[in-house]
Amino acid sequence: MARRGAWPLWLVLGVLTLLQFYLRPRVYTGQGAPDFLLLALLILSIRSRPGTAAVAGFVVGFVADVLSPARFGAGMLAHTLVAYLAAWGRAVFFADNLLVNAGVFFLGTLMRNFLVLLLSGFVAEAVFASVTLWSTLQALTTALAGVFVVLAIRHRVDFRLEE
Amino acid sequence: MHRTADRSSSRRDTVLFLVCLILSAAALLTPTRWTLSFANAVRETALLPLVLLQQRAEEGRTSRALLRETMAQRDSAAITAQTVTGLRVENERLRGLLGLRTRESGSFVAAEVLHQSLPADGRTLLLSAGSRAGVHPYQPVIAPEGLVGVVSRVGPTTSMANSWAHAEFRVSAVTADGAVLGIVAPSASADPSLTVLEFRGVAYRDTVPDGTLVLTSGLGGVYPRGIPIGQVKGVRREELGWERVYRLIPMVNPGVVSHVLLLTFPAESSAAAPTDSFP
Repeated sequence: MARRGAWPLWLVLGVLTLLQFYLRPRVYTGQGAPDFLLLALLILSIRSRPGTAAVAGFVVGFVADVLSPARFGAGMLAHTLVAYLAAWGRAVFFADNLLVNAGVFFLGTLMRNFLVLLLSGFVAEAVFASVTLWSTLQALTTALAGVFVVLAIRHRVDFRLEE
Repeated sequence: MHRTADRSSSRRDTVLFLVCLILSAAALLTPTRWTLSFANAVRETALLPLVLLQQRAEEGRTSRALLRETMAQRDSAAITAQTVTGLRVENERLRGLLGLRTRESGSFVAAEVLHQSLPADGRTLLLSAGSRAGVHPYQPVIAPEGLVGVVSRVGPTTSMANSWAHAEFRVSAVTADGAVLGIVAPSASADPSLTVLEFRGVAYRDTVPDGTLVLTSGLGGVYPRGIPIGQVKGVRREELGWERVYRLIPMVNPGVVSHVLLLTFPAESSAAAPTDSFP
């Protein structure tokens, strides 16, 4: 039997993909702009089993690496780890709370950026500067966008938010 | 029974995670030329709809701003063009007197930069023009302000360029007055948001003042002479008293550039580029 609200989630993921490849380049493509593809991955991850999340992370990382191959494989590894940890963390200790979801989006973006820079061969000072400046900004905007998305879909998709 | 099912699911999760990790690590360890070819093939087939969608969005965003900019540039160019005929005739006469051959004029291919959300964006750039538009590897990529980088990989509809922030980027350079030659390369920090350029190989006896414009020298046959690269901003370091390395502030920030030109020169003129100049 199909899970209640399953189709709206896929619709949300599709819309987020469209936002990433149409709205984002149309409005602002700077390093601080939200990453809708990562947001879609994290939304999927916190509703899935860790194995499914890891596979989804691998696919999203593959797309990112194909489009921006600074170091092919870095995106795949980073997204796989972030998605798996998000799914595993929720299963273990995360509460279904809006702020906690925002925290997952923030930390997930920060961690993804840190791993990509590290695996792409950037030197330590560059990684530190990026994580403290642009990555933090991108993590904030992604978390903000994530909060809006969660608020918009919580009655349609099973997010089990605490009121 | 329930516990057994849970354990089985948990084991499946771990296996899937490990498989993804191993595949990612294998991709990281695979030689770059293989992965770039593979990425190119996927970008031109399975991901082509996404690339085209992004290309359409980029064009939509830049078209209005570009129109205003283009009109302003056209007005300036119209005024400048009034003196060009006289200069061209004079140049031809002088070249004839010195025995220099006629300057080859190149063409260009315009392309949009399709920025990605990964933090490494800016070191490599995805461009919206490929071999069907006449793009080929090692074509210089420029913006109106100056040099952006060089094309590294070409597909039928898209291409990848290494910007000046890429660790492998090198260009032979000369100061605007032609007095000092050197090599320009990115500084060691290698972060597109922080990286500056270094003007290396300058003899210790030569001094380059702050604010000096550094251009491509044309040596090497990849970049034609005269493309602005950056402006000198102090000495970065001195190498054992025989070489000074100057810090250059780049003319173009690859992280924000949205529209670029890919210069095309006939093969013969590229080889002869040192004596030529950027049209």
